[in-house]
Amino acid sequence: MIRQILQVLLLLGALPAMANAQEANTTIQESEWVAYKARFVAENGRVIDDANGRISHSEGQGYGLLLALLANDRADFARIWTFTNTRLLLRDDGLAVWKWDPDAEPHVSDPNNASDGDLLIAYALARAGTQWNDTRFTDAARQIATALADEAIFEQNDRLMLRPGVVGFGADDRPDGPVVNLSYWVFEAFPVLAELVPAVDWPALGRGGLDLAREAGFGARKLPSDWISIADEAQPAQGFPAEFSYNAVRIPLYLMRAGLDDTALLRRYREGIAGANGGLALVDVRSGEVKEELMDAGYRIIPALADCVLDGTPLPAELQRFAPTAYYPSTLHLLGLSYARGEQQQCL
Amino acid sequence: MPVAALVLGRTCLAGFFAAVVGGVAIAHAQHHWPINDDHISGETTDTVAAPFPVQEVPTAGEQMPPALIQAQASGANTAPDTPQEVDESALRYFARQGDTKRLEIEIARLRALYPQWTPPADPLAVPVNVDERLEAMWQLYSEGRLAAAREAIAERRSDEANWQPPQDLLDRLALAEARERLVNASEIDQYETVIRVGSENPQLLTCGEVDVLWRVAEAFAQTDRQTRARDAYRYILDSCDTPQERLATIQNASQQLTPPLLDELLALERTADGGAGEFEPVRNDLARDAVARGGDDATATVPAEQLARVEQLARAGDAASDARLLGWYYLVRENHAEAETWFRMAREREDSAEASQGLALALMARSRHEEAEAITYRWRNESDEIRAVYLAAAANLLGAEPRPTLAQDVLGRIVAEVAAARDVPGARQLGWYARAWEQHQTAGQWFSTALRWDADDEPSAYGLALTRHLLGDTAGLAEIKRIWAGRSDRIQTVGTGATEPAPRAPTIAPLPRATQQRSETVAPSAPASAQPAPASAPQTTVQPTGSATSRRTCATHADPRHLSAEAALQRGWCLMDANRPMEAVDAFAVALGGRSEKTRRDAAWGQSLAYLRVELVDEAAVAATAQPQDARRANELQRSILAQRAAGAFEHGRYVETLLALDERARIAPERLDLMVLRGYAYLNLRRVDDAQRVFQALAATGSREGVKGLAELRDALTPSR
Repeated sequence: MIRQILQVLLLLGALPAMANAQEANTTIQESEWVAYKARFVAENGRVIDDANGRISHSEGQGYGLLLALLANDRADFARIWTFTNTRLLLRDDGLAVWKWDPDAEPHVSDPNNASDGDLLIAYALARAGTQWNDTRFTDAARQIATALADEAIFEQNDRLMLRPGVVGFGADDRPDGPVVNLSYWVFEAFPVLAELVPAVDWPALGRGGLDLAREAGFGARKLPSDWISIADEAQPAQGFPAEFSYNAVRIPLYLMRAGLDDTALLRRYREGIAGANGGLALVDVRSGEVKEELMDAGYRIIPALADCVLDGTPLPAELQRFAPTAYYPSTLHLLGLSYARGEQQQCL
Repeated sequence: MPVAALVLGRTCLAGFFAAVVGGVAIAHAQHHWPINDDHISGETTDTVAAPFPVQEVPTAGEQMPPALIQAQASGANTAPDTPQEVDESALRYFARQGDTKRLEIEIARLRALYPQWTPPADPLAVPVNVDERLEAMWQLYSEGRLAAAREAIAERRSDEANWQPPQDLLDRLALAEARERLVNASEIDQYETVIRVGSENPQLLTCGEVDVLWRVAEAFAQTDRQTRARDAYRYILDSCDTPQERLATIQNASQQLTPPLLDELLALERTADGGAGEFEPVRNDLARDAVARGGDDATATVPAEQLARVEQLARAGDAASDARLLGWYYLVRENHAEAETWFRMAREREDSAEASQGLALALMARSRHEEAEAITYRWRNESDEIRAVYLAAAANLLGAEPRPTLAQDVLGRIVAEVAAARDVPGARQLGWYARAWEQHQTAGQWFSTALRWDADDEPSAYGLALTRHLLGDTAGLAEIKRIWAGRSDRIQTVGTGATEPAPRAPTIAPLPRATQQRSETVAPSAPASAQPAPASAPQTTVQPTGSATSRRTCATHADPRHLSAEAALQRGWCLMDANRPMEAVDAFAVALGGRSEKTRRDAAWGQSLAYLRVELVDEAAVAATAQPQDARRANELQRSILAQRAAGAFEHGRYVETLLALDERARIAPERLDLMVLRGYAYLNLRRVDDAQRVFQALAATGSREGVKGLAELRDALTPSR
């Protein structure tokens, strides 16, 4: 059923220009990766969210895989994959459980998935399969991507959307459902998965996310909230803070990494996230009030990259140096640096 | 050459090997459970199990690497004939580890792949040109560090473009990872994943991995594929020999399978030389489960064989649990004599709340309340359930005919427990008990207490009516009749006919109509029991009459200011009975403006009672002075007010005021035990050690636990802190 819809959609609109964002082989330096993994990757391949009770999650494993790939470290990729495969990829539907807690017994207490984690894992696997010519990774990527299409991709108002989790976000689950999270659109993954599982209309999913990104500009700063109700016109979802926050900070980074050529949208984000002190602003999207200004280099590299892409301003030297801080900003930092080295060398 | 012959036809091995390999049975019908052979499981209504298919491949008993299976599947040996290319690293590694099982499998595998190959005479000999990096990978694998092993392989592949890891190592890693996934998925009930991984890795489903087989079986059972689950269990029982694992398999199966399917498995029991079946422990547990279900549900049928088995177990063993199961089984079937026998056996072996509760119920069913009370007393605080049984036993004991003469300590503890639990039937029966011993004041207090705890308890109201009539409290009797008008015929007839016992002892001062005491420790005193029972004790097993036949007149919210003083007074009492004291205060306030002196006096009395009930002690004191009361009322009020004032002051840590109130009260009434406790602690808090000691000693001398406790705290307080 959904496949038919997808094919129809494929025949309709033209795809936005999605440049192949795949970086050259090694865009993360060995020293950077060594520092990162020493801090955040355990011997058994577990990526540790040190600011969050040292738990692990599918998102973190996906990032770990992607960063190992960008560092061209096949060995670390292999061990991170082993943990991911044996500890998280347990769900009956073929998706990953989202959370692994070292202090809980069993370590998995909530069997729900997080679709961005699944997407990142599938994407990293697909690239690894190509880069290292390993069908083990390609096969696993195909399975996860297919499961995502079956379980998490859905149509709403003639657009393909991504359910944040299989359970709990649909129209039947909440009064303002469906609810989505725009930062779960890892745009750069879609062209790769489209090659791997062409029966699914990944470009249409990308277009759906891009359209939503254009629409969901709330308040004076025209930023999306982390969680968005798309039951009707896009608006901040109920039961979540109506804030552009730690989730959504990734969106402009993802847009840039995917090479999406929408300068107006990127500029809107760049202006919206501008903090008074050069940091990245977290914003109450209703009042426009800045709730917090994030000063970690991993966050600041996002507006800095936007400045470069939009206006040719080179990255400040201090942001070109990587030193691990906490799992999440450090991850964003390396993704940002990798992007600059691979696609925007004039920024360096 | 068929593989079977290859494996069986092993020849010259070093002595070390021969011992290892020769000792292993290789005659299993098959080496793993064919999980994917759906057709043999009979997912149909056909209850006759299809025979489990026997495959031709013999096995060394443990998991076999896929390479071998591929070799087998090809039907002919397609392996190269160049023995010098044989990778013996795994073999040597297992030999060094002393892992004879894996060593043997590895030999079998290599022989299958390389027919020309001869195993090394001494696998422990250090080979030339040992591949240390590969050895390290095997080391990681054998330690279960699968991620690190994968890392090492990938690292080497990056370093040496042409290096290929041994397929054997890759296969083993994949299998170990699959096993981990299967177990982890099983832990979080992802049954489809369990079955999928099991299906993709049938080499896991071997006697060496019964835990995996159990998990797969559970996954089938939990997804409505009972016969597939049975097949998995049956595979173990057909093929695997470890006694503990066989027993555990049946235990697992008993949790997952329906009885008919379980019976099929029980039929696979092996019998030892001594004649005892290996599944006896499970059969025992199944019988216990059946009897336990029979104990929960009187309609459940327990097969005679299972009942007899548990009885035999109970008699032969020395544990209390089987006897308890039988006790409940017979109790719910109202075979009280049998139940008593088993519960007594259980208690003799190990006294417990549960067995005591069961025995008490069996005894009570046969009207042996005294023992029931005695055996449950010790356990009363263990659970709400046994407390209820204790209170029921106590109430029944008090109400027994002829009236028992209870020892003072028994009576004392019943009083304490009834008061602590605010148990209405217990309080009521204490009333009847006191009445039987002609302690009518005490009886009246207990009936009143019962009514305070439950204003709708008609039997207590009836008892109170009889008592008031007996004591000549005409006004009090009239009040009860008014309250119960239309709700209890027999209360209306109290004092009007020949059916009532004649009033006794008219000279006894009428009982106070209400004692507004709230603390748990405040309860009427125990009736003394040293008097002969009167011949005409009232019937005690009074059933409540329908209380919903009429509503009280104060059910609606009327403004009392629109009422006459007389009506307001009535309404005030009515509200008091409905436990709406703040509204009663207002109603009595209206009645205070009445012309009749009696109305005003009653109103003041009522208002002070109402204030007392909501613990507005000072307001009560004021209200009490609003109208002069007769001496009895005034005294009663004053006592209550002072007692509450003392308690209130104590709660706020004002110990001097506590003592002042208590002293004042002591001038008009003897001090109750609970107030003595209060006094003791007030002294203690004021560091008046000698006074505190005197009070607690006096209390302890009465047998009061509070007194003993107080003395202990006093000692603690005097001990210098470390």
